[in-house]
Amino acid sequence: MEELPGPFPVGRYARKLQEELRRRARVRLVGEVTGVSRSKVQAYFELRDAEGAVPCAIWLDDLEKAGLPEGGLRDGAEVVIGGGPDYYPGGGQASPSFAFRATHVRLAGEGDLLARLGALRKQLRAEGLFELQKQLARPRLPKTIGVVTAESGAARRDLLAGLRRRGWAGTVVWAFAPVQDRRAAAAIAAAIQGLAATPAVEAIVVARGGGSLADLWAFCDETLCRTVAMLRVPVISAVGHERDSTLIDDVAAIACSTPTHAAEAVVPLDCLAAREALTRSAAGLRRAGEGAVGTRSRHLVALARGPARALRRERVALNQKTREIRAASERGLAERRAFQRRLALVVLSRAARRAAGADADSKREALRRAEVAFRAHEPERTLERGYALAEDSGGEPVTSAAAALAAKHVRLRFADGGVGAEIDRNGSEHERGT
Amino acid sequence: MSEAPESYEAAVERLEQIIDRLDSGQAGLRETLELCREGRELVTYCSAELDAVGEGLKELRLDELAAKLEPEAG
Repeated sequence: MEELPGPFPVGRYARKLQEELRRRARVRLVGEVTGVSRSKVQAYFELRDAEGAVPCAIWLDDLEKAGLPEGGLRDGAEVVIGGGPDYYPGGGQASPSFAFRATHVRLAGEGDLLARLGALRKQLRAEGLFELQKQLARPRLPKTIGVVTAESGAARRDLLAGLRRRGWAGTVVWAFAPVQDRRAAAAIAAAIQGLAATPAVEAIVVARGGGSLADLWAFCDETLCRTVAMLRVPVISAVGHERDSTLIDDVAAIACSTPTHAAEAVVPLDCLAAREALTRSAAGLRRAGEGAVGTRSRHLVALARGPARALRRERVALNQKTREIRAASERGLAERRAFQRRLALVVLSRAARRAAGADADSKREALRRAEVAFRAHEPERTLERGYALAEDSGGEPVTSAAAALAAKHVRLRFADGGVGAEIDRNGSEHERGT
Repeated sequence: MSEAPESYEAAVERLEQIIDRLDSGQAGLRETLELCREGRELVTYCSAELDAVGEGLKELRLDELAAKLEPEAG
């Protein structure tokens, strides 16, 4: 170390340091006030954000001139200070100290906060923290939900009303926390973590009514937002109103503009509508089941009837054909019979002729003989031999004297003709009365 | 029930698939009856899920819950 310049007296060096720091550019700083304390002439505090802090001091005269509201310089307040670095070299008895010497101070305005928020948002987005919660599966019908909100507040009432409107009546686990100032962030983060660690809790709502960005600043806290981003339970933020955009909205699974909307987001299912839909589904299933069986059984019946009809048709056709065949065969049979009959007749006649041929000659001879015998007995032959035949008026032979007497008139047939004759009773040899 | 649905939404999604399939009229008799059986089971499950959040809203406090759990844990 001998190569270093010096050694210089420390008091002189301390003053030199003071001069150099005081020559540095004067700037404005923005951050959260913590650790406020006062002496008779000065107020001390630290100005910090998530990345670091600077010890600050302000003369009470300057503080008074700043015109802050009563209690404006307090822990948790977001302020903008103007000034530059300073060094108090101390003295024989007094301790040295470094401080940012603030000559001006005002509460941070919307613009300052928005600028800080913008930077923070950019950083968290770059780290991918906005996406983690959005990738979590959210149950459509959670049975238990956790809610972080102020114990007394419209947000609690609105959320409950919203849940009831959906017909949801599950379990709500409340984790009450201050939601107003910067210091609330730690309590809110603890409440969210407590809910996330409760096994039954399926989703978490963080709700707070509207306000200025300064009012909502706790929900822009970097630590809180990092905590939310890393949770495995979905978080639904309902902080402020539509126009207020806090950092927790960015990291949450869903950001809602009101607690009422949060109720719809945490229980996506409208239970009343779901019940009606379920009833319809059940009816649809019943219809489908019955319909399927009914339609098919009707179809089956129709199918079953089909073969019967077809059979009937076939049977009718078959009967018709049978009749036709029978008729045809009968015709054929008749024709065949007629033919056979004709054939038999021919055969028979031929056979008859053949049979007859053998004794025809003898028959003819017998016939001739019979004819001779017959002719020998013919009356004409007898008449030719000189006999006469007496016949009555009717042509009947009169073969007795009594018949001749009774006839009175007879006709005598001779071989060459007939003559009439009167019976003479006087010449009768017939014994009268005998 | 053959296999409990993963969640209410899974059950409803499956139920919608079933109804769509039945409405299409393309399912055969055996499939239709099978789908109807599965559908009825899903309806029963969903109905029970709805009943579970339909019997009166219960409110608990995390601090009380934690106080109750701590002695048990200890």
